[in-house]
Amino acid sequence: MMSEENNGISRRSVLKGAAVGGLGIAAGGSLLAGCGTKKVTGDVHFTIRGNLSDAGAKIAIAANDAYTKKTGNKVISQAVNSDDFQNNFVQIMQGTPDDAFGWMAGWRTNARADAGLLADVSDQIKALGSALSPAAIQGATNPKDGKQYIIPTTYYPWGLHYRKSTMKELGLDPESIATWDDLIKLCEATQKKGLVGYALGDKGGWEAMGTFDIINMRLNGYQFHIDLLNGKEKWTDAKVVDVFTHMGQLIPYMNKNVLDISWDGMRDLLLQKKCGAMMMGSWFANDFKAKSQEDYDDLWIVPFPEINPEHGVDSIDAPLDGISVAANGKNVEGGKDLAGFLGSKEGIDAAVAAGDTNIYISSEFDTTSYDAFNKQKLAVLGAAKNIGFFLDRDTRGDFAGPVVGPAIQSFLKNPKDLNKILENTQKQWDALPAL
Amino acid sequence: MKTATANKKVRSRRSLSRNDRFTLAAFIGIPTLMQIIFLWLPALITIALSFTYWNGINVSDIKWAGLANYKNIFFGTPVFYEALKNNLIWLLWFTFIATPLGILLAYQIDRKIKGHKIFETVFYIPVVLSLAIIGIIWNFMLQPGGFVQGIMGRDIGNAVSIWGNYSINTYVIMGVASWRHIGYIMLLYLAGLKSVDPSLREAAAIDGATEWQTFRKIVLPAMRPVNIIIVVITIIESLRAFDLVYIIYGTSTAWPLLNILVFQNFAGQGISMKGAAYAVILLVLCIGPILLYLRNVFKEDLK
Repeated sequence: MMSEENNGISRRSVLKGAAVGGLGIAAGGSLLAGCGTKKVTGDVHFTIRGNLSDAGAKIAIAANDAYTKKTGNKVISQAVNSDDFQNNFVQIMQGTPDDAFGWMAGWRTNARADAGLLADVSDQIKALGSALSPAAIQGATNPKDGKQYIIPTTYYPWGLHYRKSTMKELGLDPESIATWDDLIKLCEATQKKGLVGYALGDKGGWEAMGTFDIINMRLNGYQFHIDLLNGKEKWTDAKVVDVFTHMGQLIPYMNKNVLDISWDGMRDLLLQKKCGAMMMGSWFANDFKAKSQEDYDDLWIVPFPEINPEHGVDSIDAPLDGISVAANGKNVEGGKDLAGFLGSKEGIDAAVAAGDTNIYISSEFDTTSYDAFNKQKLAVLGAAKNIGFFLDRDTRGDFAGPVVGPAIQSFLKNPKDLNKILENTQKQWDALPAL
Repeated sequence: MKTATANKKVRSRRSLSRNDRFTLAAFIGIPTLMQIIFLWLPALITIALSFTYWNGINVSDIKWAGLANYKNIFFGTPVFYEALKNNLIWLLWFTFIATPLGILLAYQIDRKIKGHKIFETVFYIPVVLSLAIIGIIWNFMLQPGGFVQGIMGRDIGNAVSIWGNYSINTYVIMGVASWRHIGYIMLLYLAGLKSVDPSLREAAAIDGATEWQTFRKIVLPAMRPVNIIIVVITIIESLRAFDLVYIIYGTSTAWPLLNILVFQNFAGQGISMKGAAYAVILLVLCIGPILLYLRNVFKEDLK
């Protein structure tokens, strides 16, 4: 069972500092990021998670090119299917991994750092200086040894996404929804007009975790959510039953093929104007922008409404992404140098110039240039006091995918089996070996 | 005369020349060594690891778990029984539907029914594709936004649920898997049938045997070696099934199979030796029925 003190205290307002700092006019941070004392040389290998044709890959390559231009060190990038990379991560890291790669903060970084697979990038984080808020650094810190193994670069909120034009046509205003009943009414109204009320796909087994997370945080609060994911609360608790009961109330408004589509199916539902609201992380916005500026400008996000007044809308899933360095890479110093660069102002500028719609944690980044959607993302993030990283980063890897994923799928298949599903989930947590 | 005695000598085992012995040793030794290194060693290690807790990274972290992984699987993991059920359905479907259909087809084609060349080609084509490719093809056809949905005029919002519809998806998957399996069995059986002496059938026909009697009493026994292969292939193909379903569902266990569980727990993001335990269960399931079957066959042969 999970024994470590989860970064609970720290997570509170982890990123809020960054968001607020970002909203102010570019904070002065004058430290030259990514510039170590000694010059690092040699080719650096970099893994891009995704397809080379993705908008994200083009952005990563542009940022890497900027590094080459600055240092003269060549960056050799290869694109690897993101799921394959995650599934084979441990094997890849034990073999001959690329020096640096885009990665995710939370359990996935900390557990692999404990096993000695990731290189310590604390020095690079120090070099970034005040560009990263203490809260953001805390979020990237491994609670076991207090060091950082990921340089946090971007983050995004999970919230209700919709197309402004669709809602306007329907005569609905999602920005006015404040309570659970409002959300249900919105879904109902959307469905009446022949669209999907609440778009969901869960073929991948993780997509619906976003809905679970937010309902749990809204109903029972952030602390209960994190405690549940770390074994301090029971899945058989009436509070968890309540979460699923709420999720069940959304099922009638969902598309009838939830288990047939994955996250990209959800994205397409929204892109093709087939649905009203969709609960998702904003990272997919890059695909909207790649499709057309018009589609991107039409995209909007609002926070998931309040359910329990005690907790209001004080929590959100906002996964922290960044760059990690493999401990077994051929050029570890080079990897660290590149990672530091990608987290610095120059790296960010290069990525943004290539069309990146992500919001950056660094306060050196000039947020006044943010477009309306990014400003709205910051506002959504700013409204929350507690930051979750998403279920599969907030709990152990041998629990999230193999246990919680199938449990939520079973629930979506047969909501009546809920009690049995939760009993089994708890049983499987109890059977996990100590870490 | 001289050459004749020399030949005799060569044929007897004891007097192999040094060169022959070397060749034989190499032919037997190298594959055996490779079997041991790449098959038996990993298999034994997997069996040993199934009794431990380990995250697959540092050898020093391996902890003895006893039967905990198995207990967890048998008593705490409902998805295991779902996977077992799916594997069993796969086995029954292949045994009673797909394989007999393949045999029937081969028999008819061998009799040169009308259009047999066309049938042969049509059923043979899927055999050249791997199940992974077949998964990609059918997933593309049936998924929301796919080809078939498009023909039906369904967009992604109102696409007919197929892979996620639990009253039909099992049969759709069986159909897709059979699409290839039928052709595969047909091909094997056809090759076997060609080697059956036609005079046997003629004699049966002269004796007034019906078509069914000829098949059961004459052809089937004459095809014994091929039958053994087909039974073994049918069992193994159904239990080791993985690629087709992995392409469609990924590791999400939305339609679980034992092999998917092995992959999810062994190679996935949260590595645990539960995966090794699944692999051992699968190994026992695969080897058990085959050993039993082969023992029966050889017993009969001895009689």
